[in-house]
Amino acid sequence: MSGAKDRMRHKKMKNQPSNVTFSDRGSGGRSYNRLEHMRGPSQHSRPQQGGHSSWMIGRQDGGIIADQALPKYITASLFAKARAAEVNAMLRAVTKTTGSCHVFGALPKHMRRRSMSHNTKRLPCRLREAAHRMLARSQQAGQKEKKEQSKTKSRRARRRHGNLLLEFNRRQKKNKWLETHIWHAKRFHMIKRWGYCLGDRPTYKCYRASYRAMSTGCLLQDLSYYCCIELQGPEEQLLSALTKLTSKDTGPTFAAVQCVSGQREGSILLYRPDQYPHQPLGPVHFLWRPHSAKSTYRQLWIWAHPTLKQDLLPELQSVCQCFEAMAPATEANTSKPQAELGPADHLTAPTLSDPSSKPQNSRKRKQEGGGYDNYPAKKILGDGTRSLMTPVSWKSSKTDIVIIDLSMDVVRYRLIGPLSHTVLTETLLPATKCEVDTKVTSPFWWPEQCKNKESMSLHEQQADVFQLLKGLHSTSELPAGCVLGLTVDDPRLTLPKKKGKAASDLQGPQGVEEERRRELALRGIPAPCANSALWVHSVRDNVTNNKVSEQDLNRMKRELLVPGSMLPTPPEGRVPILLVHQAGKQHGEERQDWGCGWDLLLPKGWGMAFWVPLVYRGVRVGGLQMSLKHSQNKGMPHFPHDFPDCPAGNCFQEQQEIELLEKFKRRPPSKRTNYIKHGCLAPFRCPWQQLAEEWEDIVKHNGENSKPQPAKIEGAISPVGDNNTSQKSAFAVLRSRKVLRQMSFWCRPSSAHTRRVTRSFPTMLNHAIAMQLQEQWRRFLVWVRICVLGKGLPTLHAMLCVPTAEDLQQLRGDPQCSGPKEPRHKDHIHHLLKKSKRCKATLDCSSAAIKEDSSPTPKKEQDPGINSKEEQQSCPTPPLKDTHLITSTTVNKDPAFILTGESSTVMGSGDLSGVLERGLWPEPLPSVSSHCSRVTLGWVTQGDFSMATGRGEALGFVSLVGLLHMLLSQPADKRGTVLLRNPSSLQYRFAQLHVEA
Amino acid sequence: MADPRSQVSASVPQKPLGFSASEGTTIEMDPMEYTLRKRLPRKLPKRRNDVYINMKTDFKAQLARCQKLLDGGAGHREICIHGLGLAINRAINIALQLQAFSQGALQLAANTSTVELIDDLEPDDPDEAGEPLTRTRNNSAIHIKVFYPSA
Repeated sequence: MSGAKDRMRHKKMKNQPSNVTFSDRGSGGRSYNRLEHMRGPSQHSRPQQGGHSSWMIGRQDGGIIADQALPKYITASLFAKARAAEVNAMLRAVTKTTGSCHVFGALPKHMRRRSMSHNTKRLPCRLREAAHRMLARSQQAGQKEKKEQSKTKSRRARRRHGNLLLEFNRRQKKNKWLETHIWHAKRFHMIKRWGYCLGDRPTYKCYRASYRAMSTGCLLQDLSYYCCIELQGPEEQLLSALTKLTSKDTGPTFAAVQCVSGQREGSILLYRPDQYPHQPLGPVHFLWRPHSAKSTYRQLWIWAHPTLKQDLLPELQSVCQCFEAMAPATEANTSKPQAELGPADHLTAPTLSDPSSKPQNSRKRKQEGGGYDNYPAKKILGDGTRSLMTPVSWKSSKTDIVIIDLSMDVVRYRLIGPLSHTVLTETLLPATKCEVDTKVTSPFWWPEQCKNKESMSLHEQQADVFQLLKGLHSTSELPAGCVLGLTVDDPRLTLPKKKGKAASDLQGPQGVEEERRRELALRGIPAPCANSALWVHSVRDNVTNNKVSEQDLNRMKRELLVPGSMLPTPPEGRVPILLVHQAGKQHGEERQDWGCGWDLLLPKGWGMAFWVPLVYRGVRVGGLQMSLKHSQNKGMPHFPHDFPDCPAGNCFQEQQEIELLEKFKRRPPSKRTNYIKHGCLAPFRCPWQQLAEEWEDIVKHNGENSKPQPAKIEGAISPVGDNNTSQKSAFAVLRSRKVLRQMSFWCRPSSAHTRRVTRSFPTMLNHAIAMQLQEQWRRFLVWVRICVLGKGLPTLHAMLCVPTAEDLQQLRGDPQCSGPKEPRHKDHIHHLLKKSKRCKATLDCSSAAIKEDSSPTPKKEQDPGINSKEEQQSCPTPPLKDTHLITSTTVNKDPAFILTGESSTVMGSGDLSGVLERGLWPEPLPSVSSHCSRVTLGWVTQGDFSMATGRGEALGFVSLVGLLHMLLSQPADKRGTVLLRNPSSLQYRFAQLHVEA
Repeated sequence: MADPRSQVSASVPQKPLGFSASEGTTIEMDPMEYTLRKRLPRKLPKRRNDVYINMKTDFKAQLARCQKLLDGGAGHREICIHGLGLAINRAINIALQLQAFSQGALQLAANTSTVELIDDLEPDDPDEAGEPLTRTRNNSAIHIKVFYPSA
């Protein structure tokens, strides 16, 4: 008997008064009566044999044997008694309201109106009173849940500036807001992440348009949530401390010549001190302040992702030996030697330590000139990655290094696209000079600056370079990563009346200009031009605190003599900024320099003042989703998604797994994908560690057969040959550029094109070299880009598998073929679930009283009783590890056989106390690499349809050992071909694998 | 166009670098290893009737595009076909094909020019090496005007 039917019956009987059944004690028990009992779960005692119950006949559907024997006579008293009970029950059922008990349930459907629910006068008179009562009751219930507080103040009072700010501050206690938060919140889906409220994607449709903006126009993003850490100290000390965190193997370090001069921004991957190539922390951008001629005292900004910062800051402190926290007040003094100019204005510094001054602060906003949003109030609350009371700067007792946490102190916007320089040149105007009165000290920084001849000439130089940018046709013409410091006028003054679109100048520079532009493209921006007053703490504070508020600006506009003419720039309306060029796609052969752009660094508080003018130049605005797509199209790993070996990436993966699992469980059980049947072991996460270990084992088995020979390999020399102790522990991602470059060469299918390159690359892949690489980089993963060859759209956590020789043969025969299929796996867990249920039922029956299980649950705890049963049926299987022996790319196994084997091991392990989830593998996963008919190499971490190539593209990781193994066995013309299979599909697709280096 | 990234060993004679391998043997390396990174050619102004020929797009597709410009609704009286380096051949090919299809209605006028390209040489060992080199080199280009002669 099905559960659904049962429930239905139960529901029907719900309102049936129980006494009815028992009232006809005397009537005879019929066979259908017993049947009735067996069906009905709620009847507790069976009616005895006796008289016939006429009401039951009526209820009986079908009336199987209803009028078989009519009674000869009826006793009046009994009959009346029975009828009385019936009538009683009927009356009770009529008066008792069931289910949704709205008053207008009494009305026929065609007379009901929606408005009746809140306007009782629309109801007929007779129902009005009852409706009134209902309404009052529901209102009461609602009020209890709602907060009283919101209604106490009028909306007008709540929207008053001070109150609004208090409310805003309350709302960002947990997750901080960026300066553009309110702008974003009106237009974006906001998500709370990393201690900030960030815009994920706009509410309007613009996915494709944003891609277009990135490839032909300009896309704007607010990256202010990135954390800036400033290091100050003598250059040698800084460099010697920082080299512990980096390795030259991964590319240019902090000491790279061009970066040290301050001419370019560098990016690098940091490791825990002296741990390379293990225990990476994450990628950072860094920027040196250009030399200031006299001293070796330098400033360095390190920009890190907020999730990375928590790990990075302690490491930085330890390598620099900076443990003495400094009071915020002294922080300003330490930057004094660097502050060449401007009166220090530490209005906000003292308030930093005083959280109680928040309300006052909002009140004296006028004096502080807080402007559009109350930024000083914001500062008090610290930022998303640190609590209020923690210090922000540390100095060392041994060295002269000072670490200052500048999170949220500098606003960072990113413009992506070939037209971003046009947007910048249209929006920003180099600052105009002030008339200087040498005697009077101005409270603002720019007039003071104007007195200095040297800085003025620098400013002119910078303005000149900035003008040259106008002549460029594409942002990618400049050398990657160059930096330009600048001082600009308040961009709000030149806000266009209408939102327009920036277009590049078609004419281009002529004559001398052209020559200078050429020089710029060739040499980059000269190092001195990279200096900016933005580096100086006091100037930043001064600018932040003296911002003209939006209100004042509007008043000034109103008072202009000629309406609509341009405002003269007020003396406080000059802002130091930094422009940092961002390189586009560097690796690979297609779409070179795709997605290059500029980063705009601003002092705190000026975010909105620059944001709106930028938006008025017709840029698209993107959120987190777009930055993910940007890096995906650029072929770059995105932090923290693509850094599974970093603590932040690991954390992200765990979070993602929880989210995906929750989403999975939200679907009804019958609609869930059965991942076991699809042969997908871990659809929500990637067991990298297990994968790396398994491949290591595979190769070991292979190695016993063929003797490993030490071979010389050019270039690919690990700096840590003897670091075997840590190698045992965890997997890591291969980031040595030399090895990666070799791998990328080996992964290409041979053709005339690559043969040309071979001349300079004598190392061909052979067994000896592969063995040596495997020895050196045992548990390493390689980051790869995958392009689907034909159909197929890779999704998250799709499997990358090794194609068999037959598969390749098939591909060669028909390049359009769709690829092999995975045989459907058997879901043994499903059996177990069922069996456990049945087992439990029989146990219950045999052991004890008839206990009705009225709520059948699909998932049940594992019963120990099953183990014995299971062991009987499971045939003895070889240990799982032996399956690795079949290491050639063909793994032809009967999946059912493995499954039974695995089920026995699963059951045997006995630690399956957790709730089994239908369609998901229980925790101790069997071998991940050889679970399916094709050997698994790795998984995809990001996959999507690429609008640039018109095909599916994915980024993922594969085991280095596995990749070498695969490449060795593949024919030259199909090298680097892999199979790709989504977790929810059985179809394999052919794809080409690229290693980016 | 040619492959933008390849390994070259520029023979810069300043520092012969001994590299000690982990096995203890010393491998003699090239004087200095650089990665060659070619920047994209400078973008030129593009009108609607400018066609830049490349080697990645299908030949037929590019031909069809030109044909469409000439006789489609756009109805340009003349189009300009540009080709750089390796794509010069293809540009000429396309222009001639267009002419052949038009049965003599179209005329060609070819111009050649030289385009300056920029290469970045990034040292593989960025700390020891000095400045990353940037050098320019020239490449030939062709600009073919395909037009209906004004009757």
